[in-house]
Amino acid sequence: MSPPRRVVVTGIGTVNAATAGGARALAAALAAGASAIAPIRSFDVGGCPSRLAAEVDEAVLAGLIDRDAARRLSRICRLAVAASRRALDDGRLDPGGAEGAGRALGIVIGTEHGDFRSSEEFAAGFLRRGVAGLSPMIFPNTVMNAMGAHAAIALGARGPTVTVNQPTIAGDLAVARGAALVAGGQAEAVVAGGVDELCAPVYRRLAELRALSPMGRPTPEGCRPFAPDHNGPVLGEGATFVLLEERSAALARGATIHAEILAARWSNVPVAPHTAPRARRDPGSLVARLLGEASVPPGAVGAWYGSGNGDPGVDDWELSLLAADLAAAGHAGPAEAPRSLAPMFGQHGGLGALRVSAAALGVAAAGGAALVHGIARGGCRTAILLGRAA
Amino acid sequence: MTRIVVTGLGVVSPYGAGAKTFWAGLAAGACAIRPITLIETDGFRSRIAAEVPAETVAALGVSPRRARADRLALAAAQEALADADLTPRDRAGAALVVGAVGGGMLEGEEWYWEETRTGRPSPRIKALRSILPFTHADTLGWRLRLGGPKETVVMACASGAAAIALGADLIRAGVVPVAVVGGVDALTRICFMGFNALKLLDPDPCRPFDRRRRGMSIGEAAAFLVLEDAAGSQARGARVHGELLGAGMTTDAHHVTSPHPEGEGMVRAMEMALGRAGVSAAEVDYVNAHGTGTLQNDRIEALALRRVFGEGGVLVSSSKSLVGHTMAAAGSLEAVATLLAIQHGLVPPTANLDETDPEIPFDCVPRLARPAPVECAVSNSFGFGGQNVSLVLRRFAG
Repeated sequence: MSPPRRVVVTGIGTVNAATAGGARALAAALAAGASAIAPIRSFDVGGCPSRLAAEVDEAVLAGLIDRDAARRLSRICRLAVAASRRALDDGRLDPGGAEGAGRALGIVIGTEHGDFRSSEEFAAGFLRRGVAGLSPMIFPNTVMNAMGAHAAIALGARGPTVTVNQPTIAGDLAVARGAALVAGGQAEAVVAGGVDELCAPVYRRLAELRALSPMGRPTPEGCRPFAPDHNGPVLGEGATFVLLEERSAALARGATIHAEILAARWSNVPVAPHTAPRARRDPGSLVARLLGEASVPPGAVGAWYGSGNGDPGVDDWELSLLAADLAAAGHAGPAEAPRSLAPMFGQHGGLGALRVSAAALGVAAAGGAALVHGIARGGCRTAILLGRAA
Repeated sequence: MTRIVVTGLGVVSPYGAGAKTFWAGLAAGACAIRPITLIETDGFRSRIAAEVPAETVAALGVSPRRARADRLALAAAQEALADADLTPRDRAGAALVVGAVGGGMLEGEEWYWEETRTGRPSPRIKALRSILPFTHADTLGWRLRLGGPKETVVMACASGAAAIALGADLIRAGVVPVAVVGGVDALTRICFMGFNALKLLDPDPCRPFDRRRRGMSIGEAAAFLVLEDAAGSQARGARVHGELLGAGMTTDAHHVTSPHPEGEGMVRAMEMALGRAGVSAAEVDYVNAHGTGTLQNDRIEALALRRVFGEGGVLVSSSKSLVGHTMAAAGSLEAVATLLAIQHGLVPPTANLDETDPEIPFDCVPRLARPAPVECAVSNSFGFGGQNVSLVLRRFAG
């Protein structure tokens, strides 16, 4: 049996509420640490129990996509195309050029809500004007893989294009699946990450269902992961992707390697949909198993990133699962809660890829290993271990 | 190289519940496409589909409070697990990969329609909790106590086949020994209205490969398979339905709704699957085609088949002529059909096929199932976004 192929991160591309660009732009935003969460500007939230979000500036997005493409693409597809293009540019990989000829470039996109805006517009057309109101141009966008399809066309990616639908940790799951595609030889390189956009009907309904801060609680609205007064997530939007490559191929073409994915796994803790029972343990001890597989002792992990987004259920469960896993590995665990990027960028499908990107930039700068952990209501769990590429 | 076998099958189809019922319908060549009862169809060009019968849904033993798609998925996955006879311990480590598109949109639409038409808040808002496709995997993972990797893949009409390919990858990589994989979709208004708007639906039951074909017929179903590491399945004495030899997944990167005009991505998917399977095109006896019945798909798929297998080089049929295009379920449903064709030595027919299009130079098994020794077969699934998945399946020889 041949040894598994090693997977490295060679590019980062992001369009989010705080910044847009490649690794350098993201590193600057992370260093600044400013929150992009603010009162919503793009639609009316009058009468809505929630009013905050991290919005992408329209002018920034418009500057990243040429006008012809912008006319043809829905907004969420523009976000996905712009960020995936930046990841490829950041990694200096040209799938169409001589260097990339014959490469099987894949795409894995995680999303929580997909292009709900198009679904609503399509249905509203029918309810307003009957059959004549149905737009054949909008319908294809209602299928959740539209963002991946447009990104594949824009990038010339002819390997597998996979869209995964997952709350809270869509981007983490996409990166883990992307790493598996490269490690398993299904693709030579994969652009992996996530995307979501703010959409008025989704935002209002989630707020009404008390799924957003302040979740009907008396404390002020805001994103405060792991804090005693956490009271729900604040939505964000944007797209973030990492370029994953097989290590020897990346070295052969002289790529800049930000970090190596030492191991990536995902699992299920069987619980009822939409629940996050703090007392429920993961019998598979995902993190302990992952560290064991990579032969990295918990004490060697210098940075811990978590999916805690201010939702008390998710925050508490995450801490509890990590503590149990690390105890199983004979370690007391990190002294502090894992780092959450939700207060900077807001909760959205790209957030997991931002976590992975931040971890990659961190190990590139400081060495050591970083672990990106994720847990979602409903029990889907992810763990991605990154280290400096030797 | 890890060999992967199929040890469990579960189906809820327009013929009713159960893999046996599904096979009986296919073998009889019974077309299950009928007038739609689930949603309003006034004013639309096409008003037919292959629905799962109401009495079947009622008898699934799954709470009617769940979304229709969740009910279909749960029943099919339960049947597959029972068929595989897995222990709770096996289940606890099993992966779950669900292909889905519509999620609980049927119920979500009822909420949206009501609120929009009345202008008042509707108590149906709870339906939104199950509207997204990931709900199927969360429901299955919980109810069936599956503790391995769980994911929901949305790859349009190739979703169910992609779930099989991705689940197999997890076994091949040694991550898990068992994977529950498949696809589900219930009929939704958006899907029905969308394909009508694109003028891709035939007003009559679809006629794939026919010279006078006018489009597809939509359907709904759930189909799940239990995949296992062959060595493990043999050690526990499991009954094997067939072997998954290989899979190929490619993207056209050409157009969102139109396939590449020369079927380039389809050809690569089939060649990749055959290459990974280690079999030549000449060894393939039967192709369960994507075969939607649209002018463009059938012509281009035939072009791709000709490039891979040569003109007339293989038997080809379309299950969609019998049970409609079941969207995210189609890939896994047709993989089940292909496995059963291998088991029974009987190729399911292409219904409603009177005169094969001269541009489709293959024996498309018109109207009647045909006894034929099938050792090795390919199942094709293609979808919006230029997504192509081909699976190579073979009789398991031990």
